[in-house]
Amino acid sequence: MQRSIHRPHLLARPVVVALAAAVALTASACTKSEDDGSDKQKSSASADTEQKVVTPKAGSKTCTIDAYGAKKIDLKNATVGFSQSEKEANPFRIAETQSMKDEAKKRGVKLLTANAQSQFSKQISDVQDLLAKGADLLVIAPLNSDGWEPVFKAAAAKKVPIVTVDRKINATACKDYVSFIASDFVEQGRRAADQMIEATGGKGEVAILLGSAGNNVTTERTKGFKERIAEKAPDLKVVFEQTGDFAREKGQQVTEQLVQSKPGIKGIYAENDEMGLGAVAALKGAGKKAGAVKIVTVDGTRNAVNAIVDGWISGVVESNPRFGPLAFQTLDSFTQGKEVAEDIIIQDSAYTSDNAKQDVGKAY
Amino acid sequence: MAEATVRTAAPLDKARILQWLQTYGVYAGVALLLIVNIVITPHFLSAENFRTQAVQVAPVIIVALGMALVIGTEGVDLSVGAVMALAASVLALYLGYGLLPALIAVALFAAVAGLANGALVALLGVQPIVATLALMVGGRGIALVMLPQLEDLHNPSLASLGSGDIVGVPYLILIAAALAVLIAFVVRRTTFGRQLLAIGDSRPAAQLAGLPVRRVLMVVYVVSGLLAAVAGVLATARLQASDPTSLGNLMELSAITAVVVGGTPLTGGRISIGGTVAGAVLIQLLTATLIKHDLPPSWTQIAQAIVIVCAVYAARGRGKR
Repeated sequence: MQRSIHRPHLLARPVVVALAAAVALTASACTKSEDDGSDKQKSSASADTEQKVVTPKAGSKTCTIDAYGAKKIDLKNATVGFSQSEKEANPFRIAETQSMKDEAKKRGVKLLTANAQSQFSKQISDVQDLLAKGADLLVIAPLNSDGWEPVFKAAAAKKVPIVTVDRKINATACKDYVSFIASDFVEQGRRAADQMIEATGGKGEVAILLGSAGNNVTTERTKGFKERIAEKAPDLKVVFEQTGDFAREKGQQVTEQLVQSKPGIKGIYAENDEMGLGAVAALKGAGKKAGAVKIVTVDGTRNAVNAIVDGWISGVVESNPRFGPLAFQTLDSFTQGKEVAEDIIIQDSAYTSDNAKQDVGKAY
Repeated sequence: MAEATVRTAAPLDKARILQWLQTYGVYAGVALLLIVNIVITPHFLSAENFRTQAVQVAPVIIVALGMALVIGTEGVDLSVGAVMALAASVLALYLGYGLLPALIAVALFAAVAGLANGALVALLGVQPIVATLALMVGGRGIALVMLPQLEDLHNPSLASLGSGDIVGVPYLILIAAALAVLIAFVVRRTTFGRQLLAIGDSRPAAQLAGLPVRRVLMVVYVVSGLLAAVAGVLATARLQASDPTSLGNLMELSAITAVVVGGTPLTGGRISIGGTVAGAVLIQLLTATLIKHDLPPSWTQIAQAIVIVCAVYAARGRGKR
């Protein structure tokens, strides 16, 4: 599955570099426009890869446009603003932004996008920019959970409904924002634990490569994993928990220390694919054989699913980043005056050696 | 009389102790950590483990060597982490032509980055911390424009550079050791080294003495850029993937810490290469100890801070000559 990326274009290079310098100088100052030439092959969003919603429990809260206090509009004639939190430098963010663009194109809706480059103050001004540019509806992938009051005020003044995706904002649903669409990170942790129990036979010592500190994704994926282990496999002991900062190199370095100080380690739970692939690199470097240490990761990127096929990773719990269809569907129902759920939880799938080969095309 | 003697003797002794600590404290620290680990850490005393620690610290040492030169001129280079990321991006882009052409391209980019820093500092007289801050921010931006996301590299020569060895000693360690010897030689035995230290001691005096101040400063920043690029290439080779998003993150801080802990004063005019290498090793062992014993990651940061404070305190007794 290696993309052929080393196509030499002798003359094109200096131009790319000159452009690069120019773009870098202005990148922090301006909001990106809709079509910044992203990789089109990534956007093969078939119905198969679309997010599916967990059937809501009876009595779960819903929101309508009357309760929220906005005007009915036709989504087709509306302008949607999308505020992305982190740079599109990892597969999750790339797939997420691409999915928003694809769905907007499919529905013929005008989409404005902005990227906060992991700076919260920039995200606040990004959203205010989007409002100023005439966004009628907002989809926000929040960097932080708190500190959104200025945005809510500005949006409320213009009666612009907000849908948040992938991370939750600490505020009142159906008042400050309409709905929150995301995966259940605790559930992802539980399912990773299930895979780990199956791979190791429920006995032995396992390690956790934690995500970045102070991040709700890290906390919840850890919580779910530990809960399920304690409940189902008390003979499986978590003996090592160190952060790999969601990065491959850090995952590699930490795993190198791990396999030396605890050579008997049975499994490694990596809270994202990149750290898991770093662990694979470390195990290869230490001369281990594929499958000697069971690795379970969360995300579902193509590289990780391929590593299942190669036997290095035992299982990958998916965290589906393709929020476009669901976000637009929610906005569509809402603006028509229909009821929408306040918390929309996605049904994530999983990859194991049983389905990795045939489903690798679904990975992002 | 007797009292007066005691009073004057005490600060003298203290100054002597501080001076000893600044010069040899880092070696004592490394020795102490080694002994503690051999006693308390299971499986520590093995060739495999020492290999791992050395391989992990090699890129930090290489960057710190360049940083030591820059700090010796009373400057600082904050852009080293960004230059590592830039090296990773350029390497991935040009690897299609083969490893050697890609390395040449990386060297060119790094030299241009270093020249940019050097020009700002030497020609325009911009403060080094500000001059290199620009490239620290912009360099990673450019790296990400060239290569927007992590890319797996499948080049056999690059892979063997990252994981190969000669009689059991990995290339990474050999390269870091060779560069350390080379830089130490340059600092101690060459005219360039003496000019560099003279500039760090007092730039106006060096100028009055007719030393080629601008040229020396330019070369120093170019060397720092090139060394950062070497570290970036080696780290990329080891990972077998180019990751401009996170490669070299906070490397400038690790390198400055290694240099300062190693007894090189930030005020310039004096460089300890042996101390710089030991400083990097000290931080590596400290981090490894805490990870191996599964202590909370925040402890590593606190422990590093304590080491830095100790080093700065020891350096207090000895400013500019």
